[in-house]
Amino acid sequence: MTSDELPGMAAAFRRGADEASAALAKWLGRPVTLAVQRLEAVPLTTAAAALGSGAEPVCGCAMGISGAIGGVLLLAAADQDALALADTLIERPPGTSTSWNEIERSALIETANIVGCSYLNVVCNMLVPERAEGILPSPPLFLRDFPAALMEAMLLELPSPAETVLLARTAFAVDATAVRCGLLFLPDAESLARLRDAADGPRSRP
Amino acid sequence: MTSPSDLSTGDSIAIGQIGVAIGRMTLKTFVGSCVAVVLHSSRHAAAGVAHVMLPASQGREAPPGKYADTAVPETLRLLREATGDPVLECSAKLVGGAKMFGFTQGIPIGDQNVAAVEKVLRELGIEVVGRSCGGQHGRRVTVDVETGIVTVQTAEQGTQTL
Repeated sequence: MTSDELPGMAAAFRRGADEASAALAKWLGRPVTLAVQRLEAVPLTTAAAALGSGAEPVCGCAMGISGAIGGVLLLAAADQDALALADTLIERPPGTSTSWNEIERSALIETANIVGCSYLNVVCNMLVPERAEGILPSPPLFLRDFPAALMEAMLLELPSPAETVLLARTAFAVDATAVRCGLLFLPDAESLARLRDAADGPRSRP
Repeated sequence: MTSPSDLSTGDSIAIGQIGVAIGRMTLKTFVGSCVAVVLHSSRHAAAGVAHVMLPASQGREAPPGKYADTAVPETLRLLREATGDPVLECSAKLVGGAKMFGFTQGIPIGDQNVAAVEKVLRELGIEVVGRSCGGQHGRRVTVDVETGIVTVQTAEQGTQTL
Protein backbone atom coordinates (compact mmCIF):
# COMPACT_ATOMS: atom_id res chain seq x y z
CA MET A 1 0.00 0.00 0.00
CA THR A 2 1.24 3.50 -0.81
CA SER A 3 0.46 7.12 0.15
CA ASP A 4 -2.40 7.14 -2.37
CA GLU A 5 -4.07 4.26 -0.57
CA LEU A 6 -3.46 5.73 2.89
CA PRO A 7 -4.57 9.35 2.39
CA GLY A 8 -5.45 10.10 6.02
CA MET A 9 -2.22 8.70 7.30
CA ALA A 10 -0.17 10.42 4.61
CA ALA A 11 -1.77 13.75 5.60
CA ALA A 12 -0.82 13.20 9.25
CA PHE A 13 2.75 12.34 8.30
CA ARG A 14 3.02 15.43 6.09
CA ARG A 15 1.87 17.60 8.99
CA GLY A 16 4.39 15.81 11.20
CA ALA A 17 7.15 16.62 8.74
CA ASP A 18 6.08 20.29 8.66
CA GLU A 19 6.23 20.48 12.44
CA ALA A 20 9.63 18.77 12.51
CA SER A 21 10.90 21.25 9.88
CA ALA A 22 9.80 24.20 12.02
CA ALA A 23 11.33 22.77 15.21
CA LEU A 24 14.66 22.01 13.54
CA ALA A 25 14.77 25.40 11.78
CA LYS A 26 14.24 27.07 15.15
CA TRP A 27 17.09 25.07 16.70
CA LEU A 28 19.50 25.72 13.83
CA GLY A 29 18.38 29.26 13.03
CA ARG A 30 18.27 28.32 9.35
CA PRO A 31 15.62 27.14 6.90
CA VAL A 32 15.02 23.41 7.14
CA THR A 33 12.62 21.36 5.06
CA LEU A 34 11.42 17.87 5.76
CA ALA A 35 8.96 16.45 3.27
CA VAL A 36 7.30 13.06 3.24
CA GLN A 37 8.13 11.62 -0.16
CA ARG A 38 6.37 8.36 0.22
CA LEU A 39 4.40 6.51 2.82
CA GLU A 40 4.07 2.83 2.20
CA ALA A 41 3.12 -0.38 3.92
CA VAL A 42 5.58 -3.03 2.80
CA PRO A 43 6.07 -6.74 3.57
CA LEU A 44 8.57 -7.61 6.27
CA THR A 45 11.02 -9.26 3.86
CA THR A 46 11.14 -6.11 1.72
CA ALA A 47 11.35 -3.77 4.70
CA ALA A 48 14.71 -5.17 5.76
CA ALA A 49 16.20 -3.81 2.53
CA ALA A 50 14.58 -0.36 2.87
CA LEU A 51 17.85 1.32 3.82
CA GLY A 52 19.79 -0.57 1.19
CA SER A 53 21.07 -4.07 0.81
CA GLY A 54 24.74 -3.37 0.31
CA ALA A 55 27.74 -3.96 2.52
CA GLU A 56 28.46 -0.24 3.02
CA PRO A 57 27.56 0.76 6.58
CA VAL A 58 24.98 3.45 7.24
CA CYS A 59 24.59 5.69 10.27
CA GLY A 60 21.39 6.06 12.16
CA CYS A 61 19.82 7.48 15.26
CA ALA A 62 16.98 5.35 16.56
CA MET A 63 14.30 6.19 19.07
CA GLY A 64 12.13 3.54 20.70
CA ILE A 65 8.49 4.48 21.15
CA SER A 66 6.44 2.95 23.92
CA GLY A 67 3.13 3.54 25.64
CA ALA A 68 -0.07 4.03 23.69
CA ILE A 69 1.81 3.59 20.40
CA GLY A 70 4.75 1.20 20.11
CA GLY A 71 7.46 1.26 17.50
CA VAL A 72 10.80 2.62 16.40
CA LEU A 73 11.74 5.84 14.61
CA LEU A 74 15.03 5.99 12.72
CA LEU A 75 16.89 8.86 11.09
CA ALA A 76 19.44 7.23 8.80
CA ALA A 77 21.95 8.17 6.11
CA ALA A 78 25.00 6.81 4.33
CA ASP A 79 28.26 7.61 6.12
CA GLN A 80 29.27 10.46 3.79
CA ASP A 81 25.83 12.04 3.81
CA ALA A 82 25.51 11.80 7.58
CA LEU A 83 28.94 13.38 8.08
CA ALA A 84 27.94 16.16 5.66
CA LEU A 85 24.80 16.68 7.72
CA ALA A 86 26.94 16.84 10.88
CA ASP A 87 29.11 19.56 9.26
CA THR A 88 25.98 21.52 8.40
CA LEU A 89 24.58 21.15 11.90
CA ILE A 90 27.82 22.14 13.62
CA GLU A 91 28.30 24.98 11.09
CA ARG A 92 31.66 23.74 9.89
CA PRO A 93 32.97 23.86 6.30
CA PRO A 94 31.81 20.88 4.21
CA GLY A 95 34.21 17.95 4.47
CA THR A 96 35.46 18.81 7.98
CA SER A 97 33.90 15.74 9.60
CA THR A 98 35.59 12.56 8.46
CA SER A 99 34.80 10.18 11.32
CA TRP A 100 32.25 9.71 14.07
CA ASN A 101 33.59 11.45 17.14
CA GLU A 102 31.57 12.68 20.10
CA ILE A 103 30.60 16.00 18.54
CA GLU A 104 29.39 14.52 15.25
CA ARG A 105 27.39 11.86 17.07
CA SER A 106 25.88 14.46 19.40
CA ALA A 107 24.82 16.64 16.49
CA LEU A 108 23.04 13.75 14.82
CA ILE A 109 21.46 12.55 18.07
CA GLU A 110 20.12 16.02 18.87
CA THR A 111 18.72 16.33 15.36
CA ALA A 112 17.01 12.96 15.65
CA ASN A 113 15.59 13.96 19.01
CA ILE A 114 14.08 17.22 17.72
CA VAL A 115 12.83 15.75 14.47
CA GLY A 116 11.52 12.55 16.03
CA CYS A 117 9.65 14.19 18.90
CA SER A 118 8.05 16.85 16.66
CA TYR A 119 7.01 14.22 14.17
CA LEU A 120 5.56 11.93 16.77
CA ASN A 121 3.67 14.70 18.54
CA VAL A 122 1.82 15.73 15.42
CA VAL A 123 1.15 12.28 14.03
CA CYS A 124 -0.15 10.99 17.36
CA ASN A 125 -2.16 14.12 18.15
CA MET A 126 -3.84 13.92 14.76
CA LEU A 127 -4.46 10.22 14.65
CA VAL A 128 -4.89 9.10 18.23
CA PRO A 129 -5.50 12.32 20.23
CA GLU A 130 -6.98 10.45 23.20
CA ARG A 131 -3.74 8.49 23.57
CA ALA A 132 -1.13 11.02 22.48
CA GLU A 133 -0.16 11.97 26.05
CA GLY A 134 0.77 8.38 26.79
CA ILE A 135 3.44 8.10 24.10
CA LEU A 136 6.99 7.85 25.39
CA PRO A 137 9.97 8.21 23.04
CA SER A 138 13.33 6.95 24.31
CA PRO A 139 16.52 9.02 24.02
CA PRO A 140 17.98 8.50 20.53
CA LEU A 141 20.71 5.91 20.14
CA PHE A 142 23.51 6.33 17.57
CA LEU A 143 24.39 3.29 15.48
CA ARG A 144 26.64 2.62 12.53
CA ASP A 145 26.08 -0.72 10.86
CA PHE A 146 25.07 -2.61 7.74
CA PRO A 147 21.70 -1.28 6.52
CA ALA A 148 19.98 -4.66 6.41
CA ALA A 149 21.21 -5.56 9.91
CA LEU A 150 20.05 -2.20 11.25
CA MET A 151 16.58 -2.57 9.75
CA GLU A 152 16.26 -6.15 10.88
CA ALA A 153 17.25 -5.31 14.46
CA MET A 154 14.76 -2.42 14.41
CA LEU A 155 11.97 -4.73 13.33
CA LEU A 156 12.77 -7.04 16.22
CA GLU A 157 12.51 -4.15 18.67
CA LEU A 158 8.81 -3.91 17.91
CA PRO A 159 6.71 -5.41 20.72
CA SER A 160 4.70 -7.35 18.16
CA PRO A 161 6.53 -7.44 14.82
CA ALA A 162 4.05 -6.94 12.01
CA GLU A 163 4.07 -8.91 8.76
CA THR A 164 3.64 -5.50 7.17
CA VAL A 165 5.75 -2.49 8.08
CA LEU A 166 4.94 1.18 7.58
CA LEU A 167 7.78 3.15 6.03
CA ALA A 168 7.61 6.95 5.89
CA ARG A 169 10.44 8.09 3.63
CA THR A 170 11.28 11.72 4.24
CA ALA A 171 13.46 14.12 2.26
CA PHE A 172 15.58 16.52 4.28
CA ALA A 173 17.10 19.86 3.25
CA VAL A 174 19.05 22.45 5.25
CA ASP A 175 19.49 25.91 3.70
CA ALA A 176 17.78 24.50 0.61
CA THR A 177 20.62 22.01 0.22
CA ALA A 178 19.28 18.49 0.04
CA VAL A 179 20.60 16.11 2.64
CA ARG A 180 20.28 12.54 1.58
CA CYS A 181 18.83 10.86 4.62
CA GLY A 182 15.68 9.04 5.49
CA LEU A 183 13.31 9.09 8.40
CA LEU A 184 11.63 5.75 8.93
CA PHE A 185 8.72 5.18 11.27
CA LEU A 186 7.96 1.58 12.13
CA PRO A 187 4.95 1.11 14.39
CA ASP A 188 4.28 -2.37 15.75
CA ALA A 189 1.39 -4.47 14.41
CA GLU A 190 -1.19 -3.28 16.93
CA SER A 191 -0.21 0.39 16.64
CA LEU A 192 -0.14 0.20 12.86
CA ALA A 193 -3.71 -1.12 12.83
CA ARG A 194 -4.82 1.57 15.30
CA LEU A 195 -3.18 4.38 13.30
CA ARG A 196 -4.65 3.09 10.04
CA ASP A 197 -8.13 2.78 11.46
CA ALA A 198 -7.94 6.28 12.93
CA ALA A 199 -6.68 7.77 9.69
CA ASP A 200 -8.25 5.85 6.87
CA GLY A 201 -10.89 3.66 8.46
CA PRO A 202 -10.84 -0.09 9.21
CA ARG A 203 -11.70 -1.02 5.61
CA SER A 204 -8.30 0.15 4.37
CA ARG A 205 -6.53 -2.58 6.34
CA PRO A 206 -5.25 -5.35 4.05
CA MET B 1 6.29 -26.98 4.53
CA THR B 2 8.13 -24.14 2.85
CA SER B 3 6.30 -22.41 0.02
CA PRO B 4 8.27 -20.98 -2.94
CA SER B 5 8.02 -17.43 -1.54
CA ASP B 6 9.63 -18.57 1.69
CA LEU B 7 12.67 -19.83 -0.14
CA SER B 8 15.51 -17.66 -1.25
CA THR B 9 15.62 -17.52 -5.04
CA GLY B 10 19.17 -16.15 -5.25
CA ASP B 11 22.20 -16.32 -3.01
CA SER B 12 20.82 -13.64 -0.66
CA ILE B 13 18.54 -14.85 2.07
CA ALA B 14 16.00 -12.33 3.40
CA ILE B 15 14.53 -12.22 6.87
CA GLY B 16 12.50 -15.34 7.62
CA GLN B 17 13.67 -17.16 4.49
CA ILE B 18 15.64 -20.37 3.96
CA GLY B 19 18.24 -20.99 1.27
CA VAL B 20 19.77 -24.32 0.28
CA ALA B 21 22.58 -24.94 -2.22
CA ILE B 22 25.03 -27.60 -3.33
CA GLY B 23 28.57 -27.31 -4.65
CA ARG B 24 30.59 -24.25 -5.62
CA MET B 25 28.18 -21.57 -4.50
CA THR B 26 27.78 -19.01 -1.77
CA LEU B 27 24.81 -18.13 0.41
CA LYS B 28 24.66 -14.68 1.99
CA THR B 29 22.62 -12.82 4.54
CA PHE B 30 22.79 -9.92 7.01
CA VAL B 31 21.78 -10.41 10.62
CA GLY B 32 21.36 -8.15 13.61
CA SER B 33 19.23 -9.63 16.37
CA CYS B 34 18.16 -12.45 14.06
CA VAL B 35 20.22 -15.63 13.85
CA ALA B 36 21.63 -17.18 10.70
CA VAL B 37 21.60 -20.95 11.21
CA VAL B 38 24.04 -22.60 8.83
CA LEU B 39 23.70 -26.35 8.35
CA HIS B 40 26.49 -28.00 6.38
CA SER B 41 27.01 -31.50 5.06
CA SER B 42 30.65 -32.08 4.15
CA ARG B 43 29.74 -35.43 2.55
CA HIS B 44 27.44 -33.75 0.02
CA ALA B 45 29.20 -30.34 -0.10
CA ALA B 46 25.80 -28.85 0.62
CA ALA B 47 24.58 -26.13 2.95
CA GLY B 48 21.35 -24.62 4.13
CA VAL B 49 20.90 -21.24 5.78
CA ALA B 50 17.84 -20.13 7.75
CA HIS B 51 17.42 -16.46 8.69
CA VAL B 52 15.61 -16.94 12.01
CA MET B 53 13.72 -13.94 13.33
CA LEU B 54 11.93 -15.15 16.47
CA PRO B 55 12.29 -18.05 18.93
CA ALA B 56 8.93 -19.83 18.69
CA SER B 57 6.11 -20.12 16.17
CA GLN B 58 3.50 -20.87 18.86
CA GLY B 59 1.30 -22.45 16.24
CA ARG B 60 1.25 -19.37 14.02
CA GLU B 61 0.94 -19.88 10.31
CA ALA B 62 4.00 -18.16 8.94
CA PRO B 63 7.04 -18.92 6.83
CA PRO B 64 8.88 -21.76 8.62
CA GLY B 65 12.18 -19.90 8.27
CA LYS B 66 10.94 -17.17 10.56
CA TYR B 67 10.90 -19.16 13.80
CA ALA B 68 13.65 -21.23 15.43
CA ASP B 69 11.40 -24.21 16.18
CA THR B 70 10.25 -24.53 12.57
CA ALA B 71 13.28 -23.15 10.69
CA VAL B 72 15.86 -25.69 11.80
CA PRO B 73 13.83 -28.85 11.00
CA GLU B 74 12.68 -27.33 7.70
CA THR B 75 16.24 -26.42 6.67
CA LEU B 76 17.34 -29.97 7.45
CA ARG B 77 14.39 -31.34 5.46
CA LEU B 78 15.20 -29.13 2.46
CA LEU B 79 18.86 -30.10 2.64
CA ARG B 80 17.92 -33.80 2.65
CA GLU B 81 15.52 -33.24 -0.22
CA ALA B 82 18.11 -31.34 -2.28
CA THR B 83 20.80 -33.97 -1.79
CA GLY B 84 18.45 -36.93 -2.09
CA ASP B 85 19.85 -38.27 1.16
CA PRO B 86 17.03 -38.91 3.65
CA VAL B 87 19.45 -39.58 6.51
CA LEU B 88 21.86 -36.73 5.76
CA GLU B 89 23.94 -35.68 8.76
CA CYS B 90 25.24 -32.18 9.20
CA SER B 91 26.91 -29.75 11.56
CA ALA B 92 25.76 -26.25 12.46
CA LYS B 93 27.22 -22.77 12.75
CA LEU B 94 25.35 -19.87 14.31
CA VAL B 95 25.76 -16.17 13.58
CA GLY B 96 23.85 -13.19 14.97
CA GLY B 97 21.69 -12.69 18.04
CA ALA B 98 23.02 -9.19 18.74
CA LYS B 99 21.47 -6.62 21.05
CA MET B 100 21.69 -3.52 18.88
CA PHE B 101 19.05 -1.28 20.48
CA GLY B 102 17.78 -2.51 23.82
CA PHE B 103 14.67 -0.35 23.88
CA THR B 104 12.58 -3.25 25.12
CA GLN B 105 12.67 -4.76 28.61
CA GLY B 106 13.49 -8.35 29.54
CA ILE B 107 15.75 -10.93 27.92
CA PRO B 108 17.04 -9.49 24.62
CA ILE B 109 15.39 -11.05 21.59
CA GLY B 110 18.81 -11.92 20.14
CA ASP B 111 19.67 -14.03 23.20
CA GLN B 112 16.25 -15.70 23.03
CA ASN B 113 16.81 -16.53 19.38
CA VAL B 114 20.22 -18.10 19.99
CA ALA B 115 18.93 -20.14 22.96
CA ALA B 116 15.92 -21.37 20.97
CA VAL B 117 18.05 -22.40 17.97
CA GLU B 118 20.54 -24.23 20.24
CA LYS B 119 17.68 -26.12 21.90
CA VAL B 120 16.27 -27.33 18.57
CA LEU B 121 19.72 -28.31 17.33
CA ARG B 122 20.31 -30.31 20.53
CA GLU B 123 16.97 -32.09 20.08
CA LEU B 124 17.89 -32.97 16.50
CA GLY B 125 21.38 -34.14 17.53
CA ILE B 126 23.15 -31.56 15.36
CA GLU B 127 26.50 -30.40 16.71
CA VAL B 128 27.31 -26.68 16.77
CA VAL B 129 30.88 -26.37 15.45
CA GLY B 130 31.16 -22.60 15.17
CA ARG B 131 29.49 -19.47 16.41
CA SER B 132 29.69 -15.69 16.30
CA CYS B 133 26.83 -14.49 18.47
CA GLY B 134 25.87 -11.62 20.74
CA GLY B 135 27.47 -8.20 20.92
CA GLN B 136 25.86 -4.98 19.76
CA HIS B 137 26.60 -5.09 16.05
CA GLY B 138 25.21 -6.50 12.84
CA ARG B 139 26.95 -9.16 10.80
CA ARG B 140 27.28 -9.94 7.12
CA VAL B 141 27.32 -13.71 6.67
CA THR B 142 28.81 -15.44 3.63
CA VAL B 143 28.70 -19.22 3.46
CA ASP B 144 30.97 -21.19 1.16
CA VAL B 145 28.56 -24.00 0.38
CA GLU B 146 31.18 -26.49 -0.72
CA THR B 147 33.48 -26.19 2.30
CA GLY B 148 31.04 -24.92 4.93
CA ILE B 149 33.39 -22.07 5.78
CA VAL B 150 31.43 -19.10 7.11
CA THR B 151 32.85 -15.59 6.81
CA VAL B 152 31.44 -13.07 9.25
CA GLN B 153 32.03 -9.39 8.49
CA THR B 154 31.11 -6.50 10.76
CA ALA B 155 30.97 -2.77 10.12
CA GLU B 156 33.43 -1.86 12.87
CA GLN B 157 34.72 -5.09 14.45
CA GLY B 158 36.55 -6.72 11.57
CA THR B 159 36.10 -10.08 9.89
CA GLN B 160 36.00 -13.54 11.39
CA THR B 161 36.05 -16.98 9.79
CA LEU B 162 34.17 -19.91 11.28
